[in-house]
Amino acid sequence: MNPSISRRLAVMFAAASFMMISITSLATYGLLKRELGRHQMTELTTRWDFNQFIVARASDSSKWPHVRDKLDSRTPEDGRVRYWVLSDDPAFRYGTPLPGMERLAKAPDGFSELADPAKHYPMKALTRTIGADEQRPAVHFVVAIDTTPFMETLRAFTVGLIALTVIGVVLVALLGYYIARVGLRPLERVANEAQALKPGRLAQRLRADHLPPELARLTASFNGALDRLESAYQQLEAFNADVAHELRTPLTNMIGQTQVALSRERDGAELKEVLHSNLEELDRLRAIVNDMLFLARADRGEIAPERVEVSLAQEVGRTVEFLEFVLEEAGMQVRVDGDVQAGIQTALFQRAVVNLLQNAVEHSPRGAEIVVTLAQQPQGAVVSVRNPGAQIAKEHLSRLFDRFYRVDRARSGSGGGSHGLGLSIVKAVAAMHGGSVFAESGHAGTTIGFTVATAG
Amino acid sequence: MKILIVDDEPKTVDYLQRGLLEQGYAVDVARDGIDGRHMALEYDYDIIVLDVMLPGVDGFTVLSALRARKQTPVLMLTARDLIDDRVRGLREGADDYLVKPFSFLELVARLQALTRRSRGQESTQLKIGDLQVDLLARKAWRNGQRLDLTAKEFALLVALARRQGEILSKTTIAELVWDVNFDSDTNVVEVAVKRLRSKLDGPFEYNLLHTIRGMGYVLELRDSEEPA
Repeated sequence: MNPSISRRLAVMFAAASFMMISITSLATYGLLKRELGRHQMTELTTRWDFNQFIVARASDSSKWPHVRDKLDSRTPEDGRVRYWVLSDDPAFRYGTPLPGMERLAKAPDGFSELADPAKHYPMKALTRTIGADEQRPAVHFVVAIDTTPFMETLRAFTVGLIALTVIGVVLVALLGYYIARVGLRPLERVANEAQALKPGRLAQRLRADHLPPELARLTASFNGALDRLESAYQQLEAFNADVAHELRTPLTNMIGQTQVALSRERDGAELKEVLHSNLEELDRLRAIVNDMLFLARADRGEIAPERVEVSLAQEVGRTVEFLEFVLEEAGMQVRVDGDVQAGIQTALFQRAVVNLLQNAVEHSPRGAEIVVTLAQQPQGAVVSVRNPGAQIAKEHLSRLFDRFYRVDRARSGSGGGSHGLGLSIVKAVAAMHGGSVFAESGHAGTTIGFTVATAG
Repeated sequence: MKILIVDDEPKTVDYLQRGLLEQGYAVDVARDGIDGRHMALEYDYDIIVLDVMLPGVDGFTVLSALRARKQTPVLMLTARDLIDDRVRGLREGADDYLVKPFSFLELVARLQALTRRSRGQESTQLKIGDLQVDLLARKAWRNGQRLDLTAKEFALLVALARRQGEILSKTTIAELVWDVNFDSDTNVVEVAVKRLRSKLDGPFEYNLLHTIRGMGYVLELRDSEEPA
């Protein structure tokens, strides 16, 4: 399982604060160490300068006991400060040498560290040469101080810093966890609301008020998805109801007719008549089922196969030729304006154009001129069919391509050839060619059309 | 003409068998893929009607087994209206396909188209009763009187005359005359038939062009002549 956001944030806060506190602590530690070192050096230099006269003034061995006394008195009991005089001449020496001290006599003047077996920490020493005077040869005067207090301070400080770092990190982690929990509370609320959405209540939405902007966007998109789902669901429900309705009429007719026919003895001609009538209804059913299967294919996102690059004007010309008799009966003319080359599946394209022209014929007055315009536009090749029929109200316009939708409800029912899927099929054909449909209506007439993608 | 039907749906098999028998075919039936494959390979048929969804082995399997040895024409029936199926069927050697629900007339038309290849050269002159059609000169006469037909009306007349006595569905007519092979809501065929009828039958003694309700149209000389 993934760790929760709160936990992840807490860990990240802890890591960040650990880094920050560590850097600060290390810097402080370094600074303190340097200051303490400087302090030691100052002390050593001061003590050396202050006491060197004692040695420097003793120019012969007779004065050396005085030097010893003086330096003895200057050496505290606890051994915190110690002095040595190193010389080749035993008469001019002072102090019990520590192991490795001979090294100091040979080394150049300066600071060094002296290991004292009696102490935990080494002593810090300053060695400088005092020049020869009369009997006395040049000697090394060594001042050393105990570093224990400094080291203890540094150690205590280090322990303090580590403790502070650990406590700080733990505190930040706990606080971070708490802050994250508080900060994510709106998210939890949204999650609870989303969980409470009921499958049966499609109108339910997440509350977007009082939400921080980050979540408001998520909620808005989620609600948008719910909107689309709701409308798709409603469309599906309406569609199912429409399908049932469309099928019910022919089924009722057939069942009724057949029952009536079988309820008496009938002669062959009468029975034949019933069969003919049934066949007509069955043919209607077959047409509806075939069209619905076709629409289902488009719904599944099927792309038109076997597309060929052709002149659309030529294809429209063919469909006009097919409809020639129907147009003549209605006394109508079709004018084709413009031409575009496009990759289409000719049978599907012709089917769409036939449906559009048929629709135009049905909705135009006798003797009207129908205009088919072909144009190349950025979104693809556009085929639009304009008829001078009556204006269609806006609320119908957007639903023209819905399945079984009829502007004029009275047109439905058996009899007429169309079963309200013609324009849905246009839409499906457009979709199968990567295009879309459009419809506009005004006083001058109605234009309905579709596009097919041309690029690629 | 010997035909094999491979389908497991009893009602479908029943009416196909009866209808095709009446059309003059000798009909054999296999009710699953295994029998179908056996019979198709074992006996010689003029044509095979093969359903895709079959118990035992499916139609594609039967088809590929058949194609490995024989070139018998095959018409596939598919309930799945998927391009995939059709493309697959045709690529694997089916000669034609029909998507359920299909009409019996259409099936017969397809079967005839598939077996017609073997038919001899058709005559350029057709005669039905007092109707005379000259396919080369593209002219028609009734009772010696020249009929004034437009190109499409003539094409319609030829389509019907060539298959005299055969019922042609509107879909078949649209395909034969306009090369349109999709369903449409239009009444183009009705209008065309009406116009042809007014010229063909209108002024004459008896009718040749008959409407069979729910099925289509037929051009034939009937014994009981109805008044024009």
